[in-house]
Amino acid sequence: MIAHLHDPVVCRPACVADVADVVRAARSKGQALEVAGNGTRRGLGNPVAAAVRLELGGLGHVHFYEPDDLVIRVDAGVPLADVERMLAGQGQYLPFEPPCHAALYGGVPARSTIGGAIATGLSGPRRFQVGAARDFVLGVDGVNGQGEAFSAGGRTMKNVTGYDLSKLLCGSFGTMAALTRLTLKVLPAPETERTMLFPSAGLARDVAVLAAILSRPLAVTGAAIVPAEGGMAVAVRLEGSAPGVAEHAGRLDGAGLPPGRVLAAAESRLFWSHVRELDVLGAGSDDMLWRIHVPATGAAALADALRQAALVSSLMLDWGGALMFCTMPAAVSGGPDGAVPRLRALAAQAGGRAILLRAPDPIRAAHGAFPAQAPGVAALAARTRRVFDPAGILNPGRMAPAGESAEAC
Amino acid sequence: MRMPDPDQGVIARRGALAARLRAIVGAQWVLDDEAERRPYRCDGITAYQATPLLVVLPASTAEIRAVLAVCREQGVKIVPRGSGTSLSGGALPLEDGVLLVTSRLCAIVAMDVENRVARVQCGVPNIRISEAARPFGLCYMPDPSSQMISTIGGNVAENSGGVHCLKYGMTSNHVVGLEAVLMSGEVIRLGGGFQGAADGELDLIGLLTGSEGLLAVVTEITVRLVPLPEAARVMSMSFASVEDACRCVGAIIGAGIIPAGLEFMDRKVLNAVASLLREEHDPRTAALLLCELDGTAAEIDALIERVRGLAEQAGAIDIRASRTEEERERIWRSRKLAFSAIGKMCKDYYCTDGTIPRNRLPDILDRMAELSRTYGLDYANCFHAGDGNLHPIIMYDAARPGDLDKAEAFGADVLRACVDMGGVLSGEHGVGVEKRDLMTHQFAPADLRQQQVLKCAFDPEELLNPGKVFPSPCRCAEFGRMHVRGGEMRFPDIPRF
Repeated sequence: MIAHLHDPVVCRPACVADVADVVRAARSKGQALEVAGNGTRRGLGNPVAAAVRLELGGLGHVHFYEPDDLVIRVDAGVPLADVERMLAGQGQYLPFEPPCHAALYGGVPARSTIGGAIATGLSGPRRFQVGAARDFVLGVDGVNGQGEAFSAGGRTMKNVTGYDLSKLLCGSFGTMAALTRLTLKVLPAPETERTMLFPSAGLARDVAVLAAILSRPLAVTGAAIVPAEGGMAVAVRLEGSAPGVAEHAGRLDGAGLPPGRVLAAAESRLFWSHVRELDVLGAGSDDMLWRIHVPATGAAALADALRQAALVSSLMLDWGGALMFCTMPAAVSGGPDGAVPRLRALAAQAGGRAILLRAPDPIRAAHGAFPAQAPGVAALAARTRRVFDPAGILNPGRMAPAGESAEAC
Repeated sequence: MRMPDPDQGVIARRGALAARLRAIVGAQWVLDDEAERRPYRCDGITAYQATPLLVVLPASTAEIRAVLAVCREQGVKIVPRGSGTSLSGGALPLEDGVLLVTSRLCAIVAMDVENRVARVQCGVPNIRISEAARPFGLCYMPDPSSQMISTIGGNVAENSGGVHCLKYGMTSNHVVGLEAVLMSGEVIRLGGGFQGAADGELDLIGLLTGSEGLLAVVTEITVRLVPLPEAARVMSMSFASVEDACRCVGAIIGAGIIPAGLEFMDRKVLNAVASLLREEHDPRTAALLLCELDGTAAEIDALIERVRGLAEQAGAIDIRASRTEEERERIWRSRKLAFSAIGKMCKDYYCTDGTIPRNRLPDILDRMAELSRTYGLDYANCFHAGDGNLHPIIMYDAARPGDLDKAEAFGADVLRACVDMGGVLSGEHGVGVEKRDLMTHQFAPADLRQQQVLKCAFDPEELLNPGKVFPSPCRCAEFGRMHVRGGEMRFPDIPRF
């Protein structure tokens, strides 16, 4: 059960030295800290029981942005939207297309921070082609669970000097360190984009067609199957130079897809923002949301099984089928306590892992937002955290896999 | 460079240990005779040598597990090794340590074309993955220049790069699953057979990749396969000054073009290569850039015209673009032969691996010229310009007393200069023993400590590849005491709570 039912006291330091002081003070009292940016996505991961919330949103400095060197260094508290706007001003972007997801949790998207984007490690539709958040983190500064500030990585495109702590900390949900500063690799944004929408021919067939397309050297940077009027639609996005996109589009003809509808650049951009933020699922505000990582070849069978078991009301596939999102109604038959483990078991049978992206606190606390891990891996992860945070005071339990108590992690 | 003193007690037990290990892997797969052990004395850096206590060649994950268990029980150190092509001494043996050679784990376990991944054992040479993927129109993108020989396990340990990593990324960007054996004897499986298999977990794959064999022995790797690029053409651009060439590099990237490869060669390298290839360059040429562009034919044509315009603006005196695959290979041959051509020009050479922010290229090249005068040693430059990864080639004569020391000091000064300009000690070769003692120049004590303590989570007895990467041991046993010290408060009574 959750120990603290009331909102925690908020500490919002404006410099790294103060972040370190807050952590040291908590450490000396053996007190847990909830680590957040601006707290717009607190519903992601397991709920954290802590009397104090450490917000990094007060660290808002842009250290440098060197477009010719493809690198930007910002404090963790800079809003993601500000970073994206700054890059767009120079024709550049974050290639991993970070989803914001704040709206899913009732947060204000404009307040979501870059630190939160890296701490949660979420990557959007383009990931299967260009890499994930962790592939674009060149350097990280943070404060560990002892209240010690440290720097890791660097700012150069290539760097194999010592252990790659930047990757380890990306996606660690503030359980190893409070991230204070990030150095990211950025890239020139494609000149234009175009999306083709085709009617679905059944998920199994759609996934196979997408696999064939993705095995060819085409500039495909989006491959999703989403709910559409009268069923599902297959969406294929091409990005690049205008002549390149036109040439690749021509080659998609004869790929086994029926005639489709074309979304030009502006419409395409809007469409993929709806995919990225899961608007296309049409989830009700009470629905639970799942993010399921599954081999593309097992996605269609899993979708059938979930529908047959009446566990989901709406679903979509991304990354050519390797990522499934679905909605589970609050009033799912058998209740969440029965439905959550059943969905996880079906995902596991398909070789996949089901993450409970959104659910009421008690359900995430009871079942875990993340699926179970092999015992050896869970123990290794716990030991790895412990060398950064020996007392386990930073976001305790936030990443605990299902079936593991917060103390174990 | 100093390694930890060998434990004579362990060396005295060589025979007994060999017998224990033979019971696991079979008699012929443990080499204890000195004549058999000697060929393993060094890796790609021949300047550092040590004959290993024993060489063990297991054939499976289970055998590796059993070998580690015996070593742990006996308190014997282990150095993992693939093909031994490391350019930083990562696989340098220890006289009191077992050299664990992975070359018998060389099976391609599964080619999963539909999910575009390959599952392979750690001893598979890099090139074999692409060869196996080619019939399906796919390839494994990271291509270190050692790819004919170096193993994928070694590539994972070092997070290897290559000519194409500017556009396509390093090894770590292509690994989706790992199987590894821990010193505890546990076999752990991370990620899986598809991209995203490890999402929502602590990124232990990201940590193990590039950990230089200090944390675990990686036994099986699942890598991402990508479609073979449809076509590629390479441009060869001559400049009358190094500054012009550097400006051109910045202009290409600044224009939003990410070439598949962007390589720099100076006049000395060109002269060395010309004598092998009988290839003439404009006599005014001080630096040559090779710029490879890939995509569809129409896209490449358009890019070549854009790069040509940028190169002309930067003052290029000669620009050529390959029109056929034969021409492309011929132009690349000069780059591929660069190191052996230099090798023919001098008695010995030493090549290092610093990386700088790309816009500091002219500064670091000036600094190298200055250092060359100070040390009285000649040097040449041939490097990955697109990502600021330098490979200065320092020429010396090992037979001349003091020359090797001077060459090492010259290399170390270059690496220090890289760090001082905002760069790092290693872009793709790793730290190993070569750059180990320079780590304190790049990292403050707290930063180094934060990396090093990870040893306590994986190998608290510090038996895996000791003496590499970090200038001093971690001393995990003392870690507990450090906590108490770390818990002392600077401001014990801050009133925030």
